Amino acid sequence: MNLHLNYTRRDSAPATTSDVVETVLSLLEEGHLQPAQFARLQIHLDWLQYKHNFREAITVIQGGESQGENVAPMEIRIDSRQVAPGALRDLLQKAFSPDFSESTETKGRIYFEDFRSFRTSIAWEFNRLYWTRLRDWEKATGRSYEKALPGGKSDGHDIQAVAHAVGDFWTLLKDLDSQNRLPAEIFILEIGVGMGAHAGMWLDSFCTLDQSRGTHYYPRLRFLLGDYSLATLEHSRPAVKKHIDLCSFIALDALDPIKTLSFLRHKVLHVHSTNMYDNLPDEEVVWRDNRIFWVQSRAYVPGADAQQISQACDVAVADIPKAVNRLLEIGPEALPDRAKGMILWMEVWKAMRTEERLVDAVDMPDATFPAGLSSAHMEDILRNAPNDLRFHLSSGALDSFRNTLPLLHPRGYLQVQDIFATDLQDYSMGFHGPGKLDGSIVNWVNGALLREVAERAGYDLHFAPFQYRTGSKTSVLYTTQRE
Amino acid sequence: MTLPILPTTMVGSYSMPGWLERLKTDYFARRISRHDLDEIHDAAVRSAIKDQEMAGLDIVTDGELRRDNMIDYFVERLPGIQIDRSSKKFYYDFYDSEVLGKIPMAAVGLVEDFRFLLANTERAAKICITGPHSLCKRVRNKHYPTEEALATDIARVMNMELKELVKAGARFIQIDEPYYSGFPEDINWGVKVLNILVEGVQAKIAVHICYGNRYGKPSWEGSYRYLFPAILEAKVNSLSLEFARRGGEDLDLFREFKPPFELGAGVIDVKDNSVETPDIVAERIRKTMKVVPPEKLYVLPDCGLFHLPRDIAFAKLRAMVEGARIVRKELGK
Repeated sequence: MNLHLNYTRRDSAPATTSDVVETVLSLLEEGHLQPAQFARLQIHLDWLQYKHNFREAITVIQGGESQGENVAPMEIRIDSRQVAPGALRDLLQKAFSPDFSESTETKGRIYFEDFRSFRTSIAWEFNRLYWTRLRDWEKATGRSYEKALPGGKSDGHDIQAVAHAVGDFWTLLKDLDSQNRLPAEIFILEIGVGMGAHAGMWLDSFCTLDQSRGTHYYPRLRFLLGDYSLATLEHSRPAVKKHIDLCSFIALDALDPIKTLSFLRHKVLHVHSTNMYDNLPDEEVVWRDNRIFWVQSRAYVPGADAQQISQACDVAVADIPKAVNRLLEIGPEALPDRAKGMILWMEVWKAMRTEERLVDAVDMPDATFPAGLSSAHMEDILRNAPNDLRFHLSSGALDSFRNTLPLLHPRGYLQVQDIFATDLQDYSMGFHGPGKLDGSIVNWVNGALLREVAERAGYDLHFAPFQYRTGSKTSVLYTTQRE
Repeated sequence: MTLPILPTTMVGSYSMPGWLERLKTDYFARRISRHDLDEIHDAAVRSAIKDQEMAGLDIVTDGELRRDNMIDYFVERLPGIQIDRSSKKFYYDFYDSEVLGKIPMAAVGLVEDFRFLLANTERAAKICITGPHSLCKRVRNKHYPTEEALATDIARVMNMELKELVKAGARFIQIDEPYYSGFPEDINWGVKVLNILVEGVQAKIAVHICYGNRYGKPSWEGSYRYLFPAILEAKVNSLSLEFARRGGEDLDLFREFKPPFELGAGVIDVKDNSVETPDIVAERIRKTMKVVPPEKLYVLPDCGLFHLPRDIAFAKLRAMVEGARIVRKELGK
């Protein structure tokens, strides 16, 4: 048996580690666990810092359908935070049972999908609904989304951070100007604009700086606000009212900005986004015994929760998946009683969990890696990685990143404020999502993988800690040209 | 060998296959031997030549598939340049290299590459080399008082190599000097050094100047105006410039300065995966013919096809050849 401790703080559920070892050995001695099963068993102890997440206290992960010999060994993931004192033995005994999938633990679960990559899970549809119907959610909970963030406000709205970023950009313009290489039009792109607060602050700050230094760059700015939601773009207008003549509002797919903005290929001097990458669809893979396994999941709500939701929303248990599909299509108006539609949304989201299985990559020849990656490249990257490593592929972030780079002017740069795992080993030392933050998904971005993809695309990536809020987990990614 | 009007050719490199990138990196990680890598290079080069022939090019190259990038292949052959072989993580990375003393005269060893090319094609063949200005920008100079002095000695060594290439049968030689565009303030001494490089070399010599293609993206932006009038002193036959990606605005410089050179006009954008139609290529050629007569025009991509997937690179070459055919037909040739 391999036991993996995926956190570094000793005070996190201190009893769990020894309890697990003791319990597994006694279950083995008592015959609840076969020796062959024991020999191949992988147990991972995690500490999920997100109170709301997609995991049960114990998750049993089976190998997926396969030709036979490449099936992953049985894996059990334990969330040390959720395990109630004294409950471990019972939970593990059930997990080792050959008919676990038919047990009372799983009975009555309402599934919303078949096993699939988490990237295409219905969970991301809920995430999308949250951002498109944010005001409904805020009204129902009585608080703004920013209040749910650590620190109570977005790190994108820190006035000092914006001023420093503007100062750096002005220095670049001055340098280009001194070489006679400053383009007539200075293009800046913000992807994911929120309420336009960051864009407004940035333009205010730039205008002031430009005037104080007498450089007259401000009128040459062409500030593009890009977002997939037309409603969001419309809501961002008031925040940039003073600079409206310099602004363009562009509906674009954050996963593929170059598709919409191909006319700006190699012309944009600065691209910015805040807390956008962590909210793009993602999936995970496992690197074990020099093989890549895809993590497949299927979302469900436990039987007991399904009963409660059924009563609260006047929807038969069997009809919950159908009602949820309508909810995701048209919003809380999906139910005749809109208030109950809101309850359906919030309660299903709260109760949602995922079952998982591992499938050997050789059994999924059609599975595609995100832009800039191939299986050969992945194997190169993982050659020196720790064995049995589960990590984010950050597919959405990688697609977005790779499809933004062609926009950059030869001296242009990309700056992203987000939460990043900057080393693959980070994944062995802490949980990095997915969790739930209000109605959205919170997920760290695999910065280490981004760095590898960037290098092959001609950029070096740097991660600077966000120094403007004490205790912030945010980092600032920025690109420089690679020689 | 007679060439048609509007001859088509490559700028130099052909699509680098992903499998070859991996094997090159394996070589640096000592997972395969030099002998194995040489055999692999031979096979890849033969395949690149065949693709160019199938695409219908009039003048072919070896696709530069033996080269890791445009710099290292030369600095590791130039006598007197020290390189740190551990400085590469990925084959495409540049070596850290430095020059600590005067560069001695010695063979660089490009003749074998050219003989291999000749042995594997019956088409006209071109060899491309990186020019001394670009090379000296990537070598740490710890000996010479100026970059110009370093570049001058590199030019002397390479001049001897070019003469050996001519003896081996080279009729078309291309000098790549993209770093001119990054350092326009160097253009006067850059042209002086270029003239030392080509002194007495009896071949059709083109100088290729683009805005960079490192990692398939431009390294600089600007206008070719910086080339003039200094470039008019260059003792070369042809300028090869990129116009497809950047548009044809700089063609007006040919109207304004009336350079005596032939023009290799870039009509294929190598930084975009979408494949041009032959009609678009034909239109770009026609536009160029408004300032340069067809007898003085070569048709080629903006730069090397190194970063494009093979199927796209091949399709672009086919489109280029077809586009040239359309215009030839219009000219009655």
